[in-house]
Amino acid sequence: MAMAALRREGRRFAAPLISNNPINPFRSSFAPAEEQALLGVRSISTQIVRNRMRSVKNIQKITKAMKMVAASKLRAIQTRAENSRGLWQPFTALLGDTPSVDVKKNVIVTITSDKGLCGGINSTSVKISRGLRKLNSGPDQESKYVILGEKAKAQLVRDSKKHIELIITELQKNPLNYTQVSVLADDILKNVEYDALRIVFNKFQSVVSFLPTTATVLSPEVVEREAESGGKLGELDSYEIEGGETKSEVLQNLTEFQFSCVMFNAVLENACSEQGARMSAMDSSSRNAGDMLDRLTLAYNRTRQASITTELIEIISGASALQG
Amino acid sequence: MASNAAVPFWRAAGMTYITYSNLCANLVRQCLKEPYRSEALTREKVHFSASKWVDGKPEKPTIRSDTGEE
Repeated sequence: MAMAALRREGRRFAAPLISNNPINPFRSSFAPAEEQALLGVRSISTQIVRNRMRSVKNIQKITKAMKMVAASKLRAIQTRAENSRGLWQPFTALLGDTPSVDVKKNVIVTITSDKGLCGGINSTSVKISRGLRKLNSGPDQESKYVILGEKAKAQLVRDSKKHIELIITELQKNPLNYTQVSVLADDILKNVEYDALRIVFNKFQSVVSFLPTTATVLSPEVVEREAESGGKLGELDSYEIEGGETKSEVLQNLTEFQFSCVMFNAVLENACSEQGARMSAMDSSSRNAGDMLDRLTLAYNRTRQASITTELIEIISGASALQG
Repeated sequence: MASNAAVPFWRAAGMTYITYSNLCANLVRQCLKEPYRSEALTREKVHFSASKWVDGKPEKPTIRSDTGEE
């Protein structure tokens, strides 16, 4: 009978260990603890609370360490990301960034992280990719996905299996460099036919703010078409360009290089945002663990004092029974 | 349309502009002296795993780990 009660106790304490909500499961599980104390099985309940406190303290240490690791990685990669912004800015000045262009074949490149515990940035990227696809699904338009990173793969495989073209993972095994991203861009260019490439990533504004952004890179044929219709691209002819015989050849080189540069910046910015989001997620989780620890300490003291009081009552009532 | 103009040799060989510029960059990196050379060559390492999907089914992933490793 006592063993069954203990087992029940153990199970009720195991479930809140897995769940994320500390408040409600606590209140409901301490009532039986006090009942147990009154029944005389005291040491077990304080033991359980002590175990719980120990595991929460360990979790707090781990999340604090993860936060510091993410902060140091962020510092290393932040200057590189800010410097890489200068790579695509001339391209946008020359060729423009027109997300509202109307093309038949859209390819959506979603950039996410491989590792988790980084807050909600990957879900926002996937949400935007899905939204882009819905936006660009007209009568003869089609959109395909190119996925970078495990997190987007896990989410998009569930409902958009037929629209996935290419999945790339294990990108961050070596520190990010231009050569790697350009080989990747080359692979994408060779394997996927596209009229417009829309790259979805999280732009790094500051340590606490990450803006989901879309960068659009057009294929050379579409650039020529848009150039004829005027606007920014129409001024392309007024530039004197060296290095190519025909305009279409120059445009092809330019768009390939533009894609590679934009991808490089996007991958770096996303990596920064990932580290920043992981920092803030681990910070809030250590703070939650600290709160939980405070509540557990209070409960532990209450339980301990209740058991001491019970013992005193037993002793005193025993003594008065002997006397009287 | 571009049959009159001479396509550059690398485009005729099937390379994209990106591959061409990467090869040129590799050549420049190899012109450096030590210790800058080994530092620069570590900036060239490539590793990722790409898997092409056809009709909603993934094919076997190919791991590209080259340029500096081989």
